[in-house]
Amino acid sequence: MNNSLTLLGLLSREPSYGYDLKHSYDRYFGAGKALAFGQVYATLARMVRDELIRALGEETGGGPDRKKYEITVAGQDRVREWLFTPDVPSESLQSELFAKTVIALLLDDDADRLLDVQRGEHMARLRELTRLKQDADLLRVLMCDHGLFHIEADLRWIDLTSARLTQLKKELQSA
Amino acid sequence: MSTPDTTAPILSARGLHHSFGQTEALRGIDLDLQAGEVLAVMGPSGSGKSTLLHCLAGVLVPDGGSVSYRPAGRSPEKISALGEPERARLRLADFGFVFQFGQLLPELTAADNVSIPLLLAGTKRPEALRRSTELLERLGLAGLGAKLPGELSGGQAQRVAVARALVTSPAVLFADEPTGSLDSLAAENVLTMMLELVREAGTTVVMITHDARTAAYADREVMVRDGAIGAGYRVPA
Amino acid sequence: MNPGLFKLAVVGSRSSWGRLAGIAGGVAVGVCLLLLLWGGANGLSARDERGAWLRETGSPSVSGPAAADDPATSGPGTPVPLTAGTVLMEANPAEVFRDRLIDRRDVAALGTTTVKIPGIGKPPPPGSYYASPALQRLIETTPRDQLGERFGTFAGTIGDAALPGPDSLVVVTGATETELRQHGRATLVSDFTANPYGGSAAAYNTVLCIGAIAVFFPVLLLISIVTGLGAAQRRERYATLRLIGAAPQLVARIAAVETAVPSLAGAVLGVVLAMMLRPAAAQIAVNGTRMFAADLTTGPAAAAAVVAVVVAASALVAGHRTVRAGIGPLGVTRAVHEKTPTAWRIVPLLAGLSAMIAAVLMIRVLEVRLTWLESPLLIGGFLLVLAGLVVIGPWLTRLVSRMGLRRARSAAGVIAASRIQKTPGATFRSVSGLVIAVFVVSVFAGGASVIEATDVPAARAGLLQPTALHATVGAGHTPAQAAETARRAAGLPGIRSATVGYGPAALAERDAGPEIYLRAADAPGLGFEDIPAAETVAVDASFLHYWRTQPLALTPAPATSLDGLVPVVIFVGTDGTPEAMDRARTALNGSGITAIPATSPGDFKLQSSTRLIRGLAVLAYLGMFVAIAIAGLSLAVATASAVLDRKRVLGLMRLMGMPVSVLRRIIVREAAVPLLTVLLLSVGLGFLVAWLMVTFIDDSYRVAWPAPDYFIALGLSLLLALGAVAATFGLIRGTTAVTSTRFE
Repeated sequence: MNNSLTLLGLLSREPSYGYDLKHSYDRYFGAGKALAFGQVYATLARMVRDELIRALGEETGGGPDRKKYEITVAGQDRVREWLFTPDVPSESLQSELFAKTVIALLLDDDADRLLDVQRGEHMARLRELTRLKQDADLLRVLMCDHGLFHIEADLRWIDLTSARLTQLKKELQSA
Repeated sequence: MSTPDTTAPILSARGLHHSFGQTEALRGIDLDLQAGEVLAVMGPSGSGKSTLLHCLAGVLVPDGGSVSYRPAGRSPEKISALGEPERARLRLADFGFVFQFGQLLPELTAADNVSIPLLLAGTKRPEALRRSTELLERLGLAGLGAKLPGELSGGQAQRVAVARALVTSPAVLFADEPTGSLDSLAAENVLTMMLELVREAGTTVVMITHDARTAAYADREVMVRDGAIGAGYRVPA
Repeated sequence: MNPGLFKLAVVGSRSSWGRLAGIAGGVAVGVCLLLLLWGGANGLSARDERGAWLRETGSPSVSGPAAADDPATSGPGTPVPLTAGTVLMEANPAEVFRDRLIDRRDVAALGTTTVKIPGIGKPPPPGSYYASPALQRLIETTPRDQLGERFGTFAGTIGDAALPGPDSLVVVTGATETELRQHGRATLVSDFTANPYGGSAAAYNTVLCIGAIAVFFPVLLLISIVTGLGAAQRRERYATLRLIGAAPQLVARIAAVETAVPSLAGAVLGVVLAMMLRPAAAQIAVNGTRMFAADLTTGPAAAAAVVAVVVAASALVAGHRTVRAGIGPLGVTRAVHEKTPTAWRIVPLLAGLSAMIAAVLMIRVLEVRLTWLESPLLIGGFLLVLAGLVVIGPWLTRLVSRMGLRRARSAAGVIAASRIQKTPGATFRSVSGLVIAVFVVSVFAGGASVIEATDVPAARAGLLQPTALHATVGAGHTPAQAAETARRAAGLPGIRSATVGYGPAALAERDAGPEIYLRAADAPGLGFEDIPAAETVAVDASFLHYWRTQPLALTPAPATSLDGLVPVVIFVGTDGTPEAMDRARTALNGSGITAIPATSPGDFKLQSSTRLIRGLAVLAYLGMFVAIAIAGLSLAVATASAVLDRKRVLGLMRLMGMPVSVLRRIIVREAAVPLLTVLLLSVGLGFLVAWLMVTFIDDSYRVAWPAPDYFIALGLSLLLALGAVAATFGLIRGTTAVTSTRFE
């Protein structure tokens, strides 16, 4: 899961302190494990270097947790690009897609389109695998079937989430 | 300079609207079907997929909008403007249908079931049976022509249904959840054989399915949600 | 049973009002018919009881050595004297007016007699008469010389209790003792029998039984078919019940209750209908008279019994069918599987025919009379033939459809033939009502044709003329008296000739000669053409036998042979009009010199048992009509049911482009093939059975070509079949429309 882009996405909402940022992340995505402070600050530093975010105020003497960060125009573009570029379907996709969906909802953006775009990609991959199966030997067929079933599982999740978007949005806003 | 469009879609729908009582099943659908392509129509239950198929196939006349049929070498017809007898004739001659279940006459043998469209079209019985048996062989059902549908497995029965749909060499095949009641392997068999035959003959296919892996056999898919076609598809301007 | 389940059964049926109404209707008709027929049987029995006294034969009025044994020692016996406790009674077997038979009794009694005559009381004094109300009306509206003069002066009407029916023509005339003794046919009666045994009731009831079965059968079939309506949907419902844990017996019980409730409603309705229709049924004349409406009741006990039996039967049938369908939690298996009919199905039909043939053989050929065996054999045989016709149907149908399938050329042909071949039982059941109705129609037509065949042959020279009457002259009358009677008769309007025939002694006497002598000049009046050239001619005395078919020839006799002969018979030739015939009868019978009263060859028609068959003709045609109507209804219902059960498949076929006309053709074929297959057999068997039953009654009858009515009835049946099937066309179109294939 791409932590940096997720954090960037969170910042896209409103400027915040590093400390608050970590807690936000944990609240939404820390179900598995919480993010370490060090990781957060390192990511923030990198993003400042890449001019995706900028630090606000000049409170010297304080650590990064005391700094307020704000997203730049370049950063916002980067977030949008990340949201609406589909990923290659793979097993680890789910959590990424999950993150994208949540961010999109938080940003009040078009989560529907995000999911549809991903679905289209999934279907294309399914077609590819199906075509590969024709006139293939049994081992190849088995391999393709494996991939097909996993992608289908993803698609089911996409369908389900698609159906639950409104409810999801309400919950996030009250969180 | 305008060149005549040689790739006119074989079936096109414009602005389809249809309601059943108070429920609006189709809310303005536009769709083009190119000759020889396999289209998957997907969507949740109650989204209007079957209604769309019925309108395209001339089974229903939509409350609003039109459906045009442009077969190769014949003059185009506005299906939605025809009366039921003409539409029935068109369906018999030009279209083929496969449903999820319950379409075979249980008292007729497989070969007899397949021969019905030919008989209705005026073919003599011996000839009709010969063509039916041939087609059954191509679908891997050699020697099962004398069996009753009740004596066949689900996959075999569904293949008989496919044979019946294709025996008149239709221009368009409409399939409504053709593998819905089958297990994975049987479904795969039916689909691969069906598609082999249609690709060979250049038949256009409209296939309703809720199953993504079945839809993957098609060339493209459209999502129908709440009577409208969802994202992922744009009619060329 | 749990009341909750009971409610489930009733409430769950709400959606199938049509089917429930059908069951109730069918049961109502059946129960009504059954009660009316039962009442009819009661009425006929009651009629026999009322008229039992008319069958009183009494004891001999003359005692002495029996005349037949020893001609040497026989002579006129000594008359048994009349007492206060006996009356002398004579029955006139040929009292005819127009074409109706009058029951006439001449009674002579002492003034002190204590004998009571039923319906009257004290016997009428000589010269007066008591008549039934119907007869009295006739007497009052007819010229006296045609009717009233025969009896005397009116003394009163006969009470209802002694009359078989409201239209009965009964007369009791008073006569003097000497008159009656002279005729030689009177008997002594001390009291009148109330035992109706030996009357026509037994024979009637046999035929009535058969008729009831024949008419009730289509009703049973209708109920069976209606219960099968909507079977597919009900199967689903029962399957659901099974799925949630109901045991098969419970499901069967629910099915039984579901059928029992509308059955009960229908049965009660049927009882009410029967009560309302009773007065109308009493208007039907059987064997010459209608019945008293009061006689047609069955009583509340019988009604209750019928209701109970019918409801129990329909519930049992429903339960049994459900159990047999073997509905499991997953519903019924995909394939509709009937047991293939085997050749064993011929057995009941053959058994029935054998039983009936055996009964007839027994009576006619072997001449063995076992009355306890005859009726059961005949009725049982008939039942078996009826059932056998229904049983053999599916087998025959399957044979025919197998051939049909091989040669089928169109889609409709293939589809119909396949279905019939796979489910011959179900397809035949829908037309079985009509097959039975046609069979019944044929039986009745065959029976009725007998009447035509035994019509009086046309006038032939050498036989008794149908327009003539003759009466034998009693012993001890002079030629002058006979001539006087003849002259008086000849003077009446409509009388063409009156001739006296002579012989050595009165025909009933021991010394009677074998020939009758007459003047050659009178011979043409009797219809003879070949008259020998002599003054006196003779003809064999068997000339008087009305059943003769071989004409007799006149032979010349010596001219003087008329002297010394006594008058033995008077012939009166008329112009054939009913009025003239009745005048002649009145004149002859009132002359005082006749022994056997005036008869004409046509009279026997009224007396013999053709009356039995003719009397039932009305009932028969009524029954036939009802049977045909019900059968047509059950065909329509069965056809509709067959369409509804295949709603999805047929709907999808229409969706893929099959025209509605093909669908219609399928339905028509599925009804036509079984019907036409068994039709010929049904007609043939019907006439065979009719012939057997008629021969059972009297083997002198011949079954002939049926009256046009039969062909009309047959044509009506077929037309009705067509109509019934066509009536379902609208339903076909509706239920197989696109909307019926939406299943999401």
